[in-house]
Amino acid sequence: MTDTQVHLSEEERHAIADGSLPGEQAVSLEAHLRTCEACADDVARIRTLMTRARDASIVAPPAALDEVWPSIRSRIEATKIVPLSPDAIRRKGRRRARGVGSAIMMAAAVIAAVTLAVRSNRSGREPTTANNDTSSLIAVADSAHAYEAEAQTLLNQLELRRSMLRPEAVAAIDHDLRIVDSAIAELKDAVAHDPNNPALRRLLASSYRQKVDLLKRAGNAG
Amino acid sequence: MNGHVRGSSDAVATNDVGVVDDVVRRAQHGDVEAFESLYRAHSPAMYALCRRMVGTDGEALDLVQDVFVRAWERLTTFRGQSSIATWLHRLGVNVVLEQLRSSKRDAMRLIEGDDSSFGSRSPGGQIDARIDLDAALVRLPGGARTVFVLHDIEGYSHDEIAQMTGIAPGTARAQLWRARRALLRLLDP
Repeated sequence: MTDTQVHLSEEERHAIADGSLPGEQAVSLEAHLRTCEACADDVARIRTLMTRARDASIVAPPAALDEVWPSIRSRIEATKIVPLSPDAIRRKGRRRARGVGSAIMMAAAVIAAVTLAVRSNRSGREPTTANNDTSSLIAVADSAHAYEAEAQTLLNQLELRRSMLRPEAVAAIDHDLRIVDSAIAELKDAVAHDPNNPALRRLLASSYRQKVDLLKRAGNAG
Repeated sequence: MNGHVRGSSDAVATNDVGVVDDVVRRAQHGDVEAFESLYRAHSPAMYALCRRMVGTDGEALDLVQDVFVRAWERLTTFRGQSSIATWLHRLGVNVVLEQLRSSKRDAMRLIEGDDSSFGSRSPGGQIDARIDLDAALVRLPGGARTVFVLHDIEGYSHDEIAQMTGIAPGTARAQLWRARRALLRLLDP
């Protein structure tokens, strides 16, 4: 394609702009561009667009990007729990509010799994020694501390609202908090016995999260 | 991928190939705080990728969330053969493409290359004197936008794009040409 009377095809223009042609063919097309102003201008425009695309700055992230993390954290904590029934623990798709009743059922299911896991772990298995990653332990401790602080704040708020809640709702919340606290206490004890067991640490983190979720939903209950 | 991964924090992103850095390793062991560091470092680049591929802030933020949840689930499969930024980027592209495929409208556009909305007119019917690249990208049909972002911005080859999207390499090329022509009309009327 060197005849200046016949312009380059659309494919040839993009290919020469890409630099995606084999050497010999590229040389031939470049020769055409030196003698055909129309094709040369068009290829130059495509190259300018490509340069502009390559140099495109990062899209300025919106402030909302910071607000995405808590949702991610909530979802990844949920993935640490073995679902006991379809959709009980981890819902696919977008999240929507749930009532206290479904939260309590979910918490109860998780707590049952926690209790079984703790008892299973205690029934004869030696403490895990494969993972001695102290940084993970420190991180878990920090995470537990953060959950405890958040749970305490929510408990304080719940106390302020307690007199406005229906008696049966209060009873249900107290009942489930006792179960959650019992599970946490068992898991703390188990982790103290077997501090390098990652499954126990994950279960402990899950039970903390369940407590916080339960308190949040209780805070929304009427 | 013959291009580059944009905008990731060097402090966390640039481990040598074959080496899993400490933050990634801790995240692989379940350290949520370490994973949050990865999120802070890489989410702006991931947002940019998602925003350019889907065109709206809301969808992009949802996709960023989905990408990092998927990353958490699959992080143990990361072996350091590439940088964590490259691994996340590829994961992000796959998650976005899955989302586009799940949308009937965009899937059709991806396959058929609907170019009915190509051109130089804004939704209000006015001819723009000049708009920026991201604003112009929003006006492209999904398929053309996807191919342009993957090829000209993110640096994937046509063969890689064909593999990821399930369209033929020739179709990917045609989509790219259409996208470039439409962008030239929008950006340089």
